Amino acid sequence: AVIASAAAAQAAVIQRVDVRGAQRVGAEAVRSNLSIQPGKTFSNADIDESVKRLYATGFFSDVQISVSGGTLVVTVAENQLVNQVVFNGNRKIKDDKLAGIVQTQPQGPYSDSLISADIQRIKEAYTAIGRSDVEVTTQVVPVAEGRVNLAFVINEGERTKISSINFSGNNAYSDGRLASVLQTKESGLLSFLTRKDVYNEDKLRADEEALRQFYYNHGYADFRVISSEAVLNEAGNEYTINITVDEGQRYKFGAVTVESTVDGVDAAQLQGLLETHEGSTYSARDVQKSMEAISRRVSSAGYPFARVVPRGDRNFENNTIGVTYLVDQGERAYVERIEVRGNTRTRDYVIRREFDISEGDAFNQETISRAKRRLEALGFFSAVNISTQPGSSPDRVVVVVDVQDQPTGSFGIGAGYSVDNGGVVLEASVEEKNFLGRGQFIRVAAGGGFDDTQTYNFSFTEPYFLGYRLAAGFDVFKSSTSSNSQYDYEEQGATVRVTAPITEDLATTLRYTYKQIDYINDGAFGANGVAGGGDDTIAAPYIDAITGSTWTQSIIGHSIVYNTVDDRQNPHEGIYASFTHEYAGLGGDSDFYKAYARARLFYTLSDEFDVVGSLAGSAGHVVALGDNLNVFDQFKIGGKEIRGFANSGIGPRMGGDSIGGTTYFTASAEATFPLPAVPQDLGFRGAIFADAGTLFGSKLKNDAGADGTDMAIRASVGAGIQWNSPFGALRFDYAVPVAKEDYDDTQEFRFSMANQF
Amino acid sequence: CQSDPDIDITKLAAETDPPEVLYNQGLANIKAGNMSEAARKFDAVDAQHPFSEWSRKSLVMSTFTKYRLGRYADAIATGNRYMNLYPKSEDAAYAQYLVGLSYWKQISSVTQDQKNSVKTIEAMQRVVDEFPNSEYVDDAQAKIRFARDQLAGKEMQVGRYYLERKEYLASIQRFRVVVERYPNTNQIEEALARLVEAYYAMGVVQEAQTAAAVLGHNYPDSQWYADSYQLLQKGGLEPRENAGSWIARAGKQLLTGS
Amino acid sequence: CTTSEVFHNGYVVDQAALDLVPVGSSREQVLLSLGTPSTTATFDGEVFYYISQKRVRSVAFMKQKLVEQQILAIYFDKNGIVTQEANYTLQDGKVFDTISRTTPTGGRDLTFLQQLLSGGGGAANSVKNILGGMGN
Repeated sequence: AVIASAAAAQAAVIQRVDVRGAQRVGAEAVRSNLSIQPGKTFSNADIDESVKRLYATGFFSDVQISVSGGTLVVTVAENQLVNQVVFNGNRKIKDDKLAGIVQTQPQGPYSDSLISADIQRIKEAYTAIGRSDVEVTTQVVPVAEGRVNLAFVINEGERTKISSINFSGNNAYSDGRLASVLQTKESGLLSFLTRKDVYNEDKLRADEEALRQFYYNHGYADFRVISSEAVLNEAGNEYTINITVDEGQRYKFGAVTVESTVDGVDAAQLQGLLETHEGSTYSARDVQKSMEAISRRVSSAGYPFARVVPRGDRNFENNTIGVTYLVDQGERAYVERIEVRGNTRTRDYVIRREFDISEGDAFNQETISRAKRRLEALGFFSAVNISTQPGSSPDRVVVVVDVQDQPTGSFGIGAGYSVDNGGVVLEASVEEKNFLGRGQFIRVAAGGGFDDTQTYNFSFTEPYFLGYRLAAGFDVFKSSTSSNSQYDYEEQGATVRVTAPITEDLATTLRYTYKQIDYINDGAFGANGVAGGGDDTIAAPYIDAITGSTWTQSIIGHSIVYNTVDDRQNPHEGIYASFTHEYAGLGGDSDFYKAYARARLFYTLSDEFDVVGSLAGSAGHVVALGDNLNVFDQFKIGGKEIRGFANSGIGPRMGGDSIGGTTYFTASAEATFPLPAVPQDLGFRGAIFADAGTLFGSKLKNDAGADGTDMAIRASVGAGIQWNSPFGALRFDYAVPVAKEDYDDTQEFRFSMANQF
Repeated sequence: CQSDPDIDITKLAAETDPPEVLYNQGLANIKAGNMSEAARKFDAVDAQHPFSEWSRKSLVMSTFTKYRLGRYADAIATGNRYMNLYPKSEDAAYAQYLVGLSYWKQISSVTQDQKNSVKTIEAMQRVVDEFPNSEYVDDAQAKIRFARDQLAGKEMQVGRYYLERKEYLASIQRFRVVVERYPNTNQIEEALARLVEAYYAMGVVQEAQTAAAVLGHNYPDSQWYADSYQLLQKGGLEPRENAGSWIARAGKQLLTGS
Repeated sequence: CTTSEVFHNGYVVDQAALDLVPVGSSREQVLLSLGTPSTTATFDGEVFYYISQKRVRSVAFMKQKLVEQQILAIYFDKNGIVTQEANYTLQDGKVFDTISRTTPTGGRDLTFLQQLLSGGGGAANSVKNILGGMGN
């Protein structure tokens, strides 16, 4: 019989393999892909295996294997072969990138199923860059026998925009407020730069999650996203995204208790750690923080296996959620190994040191998720997932840390402040957050501004200095400006600093700065240093500064910073407070003790209209330890602190030149709100504010006759626009002084940096 | 910005230069040291005359040129394609060896992920197993030893990290992995010396002595043994064979590398 | 609130389970009540070591300081019966400098330039993003 029954073929042996139908591919290639060899026994499994492998090569549209007598007959029908693959009509995505996505390759098989899969892939690539109405067709031209040329003809169409994002069902928060939570933005003037208006499926899913987190953290425990869909309107080639939500009730915390089934763990003691207090608005983040605090305290007390499980019980009448933190005994498992994988650049210890547990310790889920949060906060990885695998024995677990390095170098153009007079400079900087994979930070920047201001600085930081969690580093800086008509100001120096975190939000820094300062006379007055007549007279202290030039300062400074602001770019809640005191006198020409503090509180006045209020205050005092101060030792207060005044516009003056002051107080109240007409994507916000402050006292050698040395309150009110531009947060303010001294230097319009902490 | 010009495929005839001409042009380019041009020539042979004897030879040469150009990912792809099509042909050993070399070149320092070392071992092991009498077996084994040294070096590096932080248990586990799984690598001496240090620092003197004794037995003139001996010496102890003959058993196990 | 934090590393000692395995009990009993040992004798499995450490970190940035260390060693005879139990504490530990020399290892290490170019992907494409963006 032609085909021996498969069973009989069980232990059959064949002498010859006969290949039919393989002209181009060549019999030899077919034979070498068979797992059946002449003279060797084979079974059905070998036949299936060979069929599978032949199909896997992709060159055959049909494969038949049969046994007749002593020969194995393999009949194949060959696919046509592709000679060349070409992409026409593509502008936005280059040929070689498309060639990488597409499966059909030159001299590969030509099969319709493969081609339709490729078309789908090309479409997905274009949707990912916001061009979802791309059309892809193919053009096939036969070449030699059995070989064809294939061209993908691509008509890219226009950028698919997002015309509007509409929310429905939200009455607690305005559309604008919710839109600022989402990553996907409506198309606007700048979206070709920010590319945030590209719609894609999983970004929308991520936005839904962001909305859930936002509502859960503001008391809406029952919040649900009912539906979110993107409707593509073919004609206008744009999406409208409709998100319907059901906010549910706003909950407050009901009774909050801690229970423990682990003997030796006293629940009452843990009560003090809780961030969730009865009566305050429900917030998922506070619950998570409380869980972490309890878990830390319990494992510190010697119960590393204990687990904290929160249980909420809703009371629908008075809209409260009672939370019970149950501490119970987790299973006793130990970490056998911590495997770090995927780190092609970051070094192993930079990852391992973020773990508070090490190999052989008790497995504690809370410490693992804390390490994950820390690793993500480093900003070195595009993805961090930590999973566990069973260890070598039942009570052993292997923790697998899978990271994916991402480029951490960045080249940026941003706005910054020049040193002497606080004018704005445009700075170009190259930054590397993960230098050589060692977690070190390096930044080189150069900037320029008006009055040929130039700034250069280089900074380096090692986050784990000598194994301690101390961020030690140094900065080298040089800058010069001739903003003052009578002299050029130059300074250069270096700072060595060590920053130590005390808690999550509180850190303290110790620094030593050595600085050289130069006041260079550019011929504004007589060579012998006596102030010439006419308006280009210069205040005596500056003459001292010029004649005694190349001053040196050697300052030891210590500061404490408390920062709980939620988002630097767009703050809605939180406090930024810093206190610094400096002692200059170990060498150098300056001899003073200086202390200054600054605090700014953000508070959302109305969630509905996304109005954010902020109160700020600052104060400073410098005491001369030697006989008196130099002009560069004293504080210079002006438009930066009290808008409506020029740089160093207030305080003691001599002949029109500000000579700074020994003591200052400022205060400012401000409310920012979204601009109604302007699309959200541009990042503009309006602001109205009132500033007040004073600068007085002077301890310079010859500051006799200076006016304004006594305290006089200056105040101003105004309005402004804040723009979160790609170059950083910028401000354009217009302010009118309402209380000023006649000798003050006013300036109504001002361009500056916003949210400068 | 410029984009790639469109190509009219009707004119794109399958230029079919005779395969041997293209192949020899490829070889000439190699001699002239122009590797990228050579790679293009060999790929052309494969494109125009797939599955011919010439295309098989040019696939090997294409793998070689891409390896020399440092395009390791391409070299591995072409090499693997050759092994799929002609697993039993006479150049298969060389192609597989080139794939192994391409992984070997990408091995990164011990502080980073060592997946390329693992891949090197896999690829080179295939050379040793499937082509036992090919002339590449010796170098393949040398590369396997290097890759195993790397894997052992990574264990040591993590072990030292924990030892420095006085987390002795973690460091001992890592050094044991080297002693048990990578005894025939260059790290074994240091692994034993570190075990002496870790146990000695914990005060479990008997284990420290055993480790030092095994180190002394197998590597009597190693600097690591001298250090360990001197360390134990300071504490008034010598690395004496403790209790009975199981040291001999441990030593034997090391020598035979079983 | 005290900022100091206590860490328990290694095996968590459970006094009750300890009393279940006096001298003379079998290897299985030890495994059952104390669990898998932290480590065993390096070259022969007839000693179980249960190692536990206690560390304190006074302030968030300081290193963890080893304050307590307990090693329980359980010796078995040839047929797996506990012959002796020993306890080592921190006092038994010796203090010395570990050898600073390390055995050289190979492998390609990233130079800064390479990182900037490859990492520069970030730098390069942020520039391209800005400039490229202007084009279309």
